[in-house]
Order: sequence, then structure tokens, then C-alpha cells
Amino acid sequence: MQASSTPLSVEVADITVAYTNGNIALRDASFTLLSGTICALVGVNGSGKSTLFKSIMGFLKPAKGQVRIAGRSVAEARKSKLVAYVPQSEEVDWSFPVNVWDVVMMGRYGHMNFMRIPRQEDKRVVLECLERVGMTAFKDRQIGELSGGQKKRVFLARALAQKGRIMLLDEPFTGVDVQTETAIIELLRALRQEGHIILVSTHNLGSVPEFCDQVVLINRTVLAYGPTDRVFTEKNLTEAFGGVLRQFHFEHSTIQEHDGRTVKVLTDDERPLVFGKDGHLEYTERQGREELVKERAKEVGE
Amino acid sequence: MTDLLTPFHYEYMVKAILMSGLIGGVCAFLSCFITLKGWSLMGDALSHAVVPGVSLAWMLGLPFSVGAFIAGILAALGMGWVKNNSRLREDAVIGVVFTTFFALGLLLLTLYPSNLNLRTIIFGNILAISDPDILQVLVISVVSILVLGLKWKDLLLYCFDEAHARSIGLNTRFLHFLLLALLSATAVAALQTVGACLVVAMLVTPGATAYLLTDRFSRMLLIATLTGVTCGVTGAYVSYFLNGSTGGCIVVLQTVVFLAALILAPKHGLLAARTQRHIASAL
Repeated sequence: MQASSTPLSVEVADITVAYTNGNIALRDASFTLLSGTICALVGVNGSGKSTLFKSIMGFLKPAKGQVRIAGRSVAEARKSKLVAYVPQSEEVDWSFPVNVWDVVMMGRYGHMNFMRIPRQEDKRVVLECLERVGMTAFKDRQIGELSGGQKKRVFLARALAQKGRIMLLDEPFTGVDVQTETAIIELLRALRQEGHIILVSTHNLGSVPEFCDQVVLINRTVLAYGPTDRVFTEKNLTEAFGGVLRQFHFEHSTIQEHDGRTVKVLTDDERPLVFGKDGHLEYTERQGREELVKERAKEVGE
Repeated sequence: MTDLLTPFHYEYMVKAILMSGLIGGVCAFLSCFITLKGWSLMGDALSHAVVPGVSLAWMLGLPFSVGAFIAGILAALGMGWVKNNSRLREDAVIGVVFTTFFALGLLLLTLYPSNLNLRTIIFGNILAISDPDILQVLVISVVSILVLGLKWKDLLLYCFDEAHARSIGLNTRFLHFLLLALLSATAVAALQTVGACLVVAMLVTPGATAYLLTDRFSRMLLIATLTGVTCGVTGAYVSYFLNGSTGGCIVVLQTVVFLAALILAPKHGLLAARTQRHIASAL
């Protein structure tokens, strides 16, 4: 394989991408990803995440700078099917008359002959990929009859079947149950072990430190990129999200000393819901809730 | 009994029946892609937009299908250009461009009287189809069937997920143009049988019918094509006894089949939906 002769990499070198109406979608963006990484692409809506994806896939031609994949141009990378894309659920027509097997087989088209007649090898790969995402039992289902998480896994299997070593996942956790999210993360970790480069665009800040070893923060340009612990800082996130970021300050909240370390934080990836000692509901602001604070202080005899 | 065989005693009827079946089948095969891609309105537009081409081809002494095909492609390109360079929605663009072409065609046909009959173009007249026209339709059909037979999987992927098709190196711009060219070509062929007004029925109804009956694309192709051929053949045959318009018979028949599917389809039919609601409420 040629792919293994040059080391795998995604190099975005100083690209500026403009819309047809002349507005700049992305300016002077640069970062480099090397083999064996899960990188989160984090930014608000309209920060240029999809523009960046489209540039890496070669759908948009930068006005300045270039994207190089494994040292080659995006056009060459596309010919060798190096980049696999997992679309957002909203982009798919779920009533289309295709079943799970058909969709995963589409990942093999690039490897087939002119008439796209599947060989034994193609069928074996499709079956193996279905097995890997745990969807073998559903292979004859029409795609619209699946749950949100199952739908996601089918398209992941298609990306696997394509044997692309660079995977772009657009919002893979929206509309997905927790079990599926864990399963997807498990799979991505395994792919990282195998040396894949995985770029995940996500709104789900909480899950980023859990499974991403690198982060690219963008807002119409690359604000910061590098290892998660270095880049995923409060300062950088505030810069990337501005006023959009939801916050919960413990010192301003109804949480008191006696709650200690029993505070529990729940979130649906938006504003967190916080419970103190004895399961008391905690509020973000103490102000206006003086009565409540007093009452709770009495309970523990403070 | 012998009465039922009468149509086959006339050469023009045999020709009409065979041609209607062929055109019905080709249009039906293509209709699967057109309905799934959401190009039904485009099919209607192109079938009207080919009219000036027919007139110009006659003036220049070219085969009518060449002129019609070129006019269809020009109209499609015109729509694409206006859409990309204005803030108008696609349906408005299609409406403006195709009526312009159709009006131009009407004007040309009336200003430069030819042996082309306006009625024939708008309502079709398969019973009077000439041998050179048969040859043109045959060439269009064979080429369309060959292209579709070889590339249907690529076209399917293009209709389903353009981004994926592009990312694995398929030339989606070529596939887009290919589908447009096939649409124009079959619209020209169907012009002969049912006329410009009803072409869209041939290019949409069989696909829509088959879509209600199955969840697999390959089966959808099969069902649509069978419906198209059967309706074409039967419609032309029945029109002899009714002494009515052949195009009208074919399309009415297609609609009957569509309605039957809409009501009776095992999974996506109205009755099935009612039964499911019934079961759900009984639980």
C-alpha cells in the first residue's frame, strides 16, 4: 500500500476559505495531525467547522494556503479513498429505499469495478464492519426504521468499510443514547490504536477530555490546537465561545461548605443540573434565595 | 375473441403498442432516480423546454430529437445558472426558465409554419409515428438503457449521499450532468407518445408507485419498469377500442396503478397504516 510508505498526516497549512458571496468563512487556519489521534474540533455554530471539513475533503478550494494529506494533495487523497466522512443525521434522507447492508456496501464502491459488482472480499469486509459496530442483526432493516444510535453506527460502519484511515465525524453524539456514545468512543479508541486519524466536530464539551487527546478550537480561524490538557483551558474556551458558554460558579451558587464533595453534576450537554448534600437542588445564584440558604444551614446546625 | 386481436392486424397499432411499451419502460426506470432526487418538477420543466428545439431542428433540417435534446440541456444549464447567480428559490427559477423556453417554442412554431403540428408536440401522436422517428426513439432508448444499466449504482449513490460519493472519488458533477442528459433524452422520446403535457407523468408516476411498494432500490427499479412497460402496452392497446388519445390512456392507467399502490401497498399503503394504528390503539 502507498498509504503506509508515507506516514499518515493531515496538514492544514494557513488556509483561507471564502464563500461564493465573498465572505470569509475561515482565515489563516493552520494545524497538523499525526497518525494515531482523536482530535476534537470545537467551536460555536458558524465558526467554520463544516467549512474546515469540506476543505479537508477537497469540496472547497482554499483561496490561500493548502491542505495536504499524507504529504499529498486532497485530490490524490480522494483517489485513494483515504478520507472517510460520517455525515450529520440531518443530512441523510432516511426514507430512501436502502437497507443497512446497502449503505455499508456503499463504503466499498471506491474499491469496486466499473459496474460496482461486489466481490467476495467486499461482502466479507461489510460483514466484518457490521460486526464491529454491533449492527449485524439489523443488516436487512430499512435505514429509517433504526434508532438514532443505530443510524449513527451504520454510517460509522460505512466509513470503516471504506478503509479510510482518516475519519471525519460531524456531531456524532447528537440524538444518541449514552450506551451508543460509549460504544462509539470505544470504537474510536480502538481505531486510534490502529493508527487512524479521527477528527470529531462536537458541541459536547464534557465528553472531549474523556476521549480526545487533541483539540482544535476554532472561531473563523484556529484559535488554539494541541494536546487536550494544554488547549482545553477556561481561557481558551471563553475565547472560542464568548457569551455562548454556559457557566456554573460554585461560589455564587446555593452550594455551601457542608455540601462538601457530595455535589453531583448532571447535564444533557447544555446547562448542568447540580445537586448538593441529601439530593438538594442547587441554584446558580445565591442572590434572591437567602431564605433557602438559611434553611439549609439550620438543617445541619451551622 | 377475434375482436380482441383486431389492433394487431394494423401495422400502425403494432408499432404504437411496441413503442409505447419501450418508452414507458425507459421512462419508468429513470423515474426511480427522478423521484428520489426530487427532480419531478425538473422533469416537467425539461419536457416543455424541448419544444423550441423541435422547431429549430426542423428549420435546420436536423433530426427533431437532436434539437430537442440540445434545448433541454440548455434549459437545464440556464436553470442552474440563474439559481447560482440569484437569490431565487429553485421552484421559481424552474418556473421562469421553462415557461420562457415553452413560449419561445410556441412562437417559433406559429411564426414559421412547418409540417410540425403543435397539437402533436403538446399531446403526442404515437399512432402516426414515422419510421425515422421510430429509429430516433430506438437509439435514445438503447443508449439510455445501456448507460442506466451500467451506472445505476453510481447514480443511486449520487442521489442518496452526494458528499460520500464525492469523497470516494466519484465525479459527481459528471453524474449530475449524466442524469440531466438522460432526463432530457427520455423526455424527447416520451414526447412522441404522450406529448409535452404528459411527459412528466411517464417520468414520475411509475417511480412513485414503486417507492410505495418496496424498501429496496433494486426492487423499486424492477417494479417501476414493469409498471411502465405494462401501462405503455396496455394503454396503447386499449386506446384502439376506446378510440381515445393514446397518451391519455397510458397515463390514466399509470394513475390507476398508483392509486391501487397508495391504498393497498403492504407496508406504506393507506390501509396498512390504518391497520397499524388500529393495532397500536388496541394494545
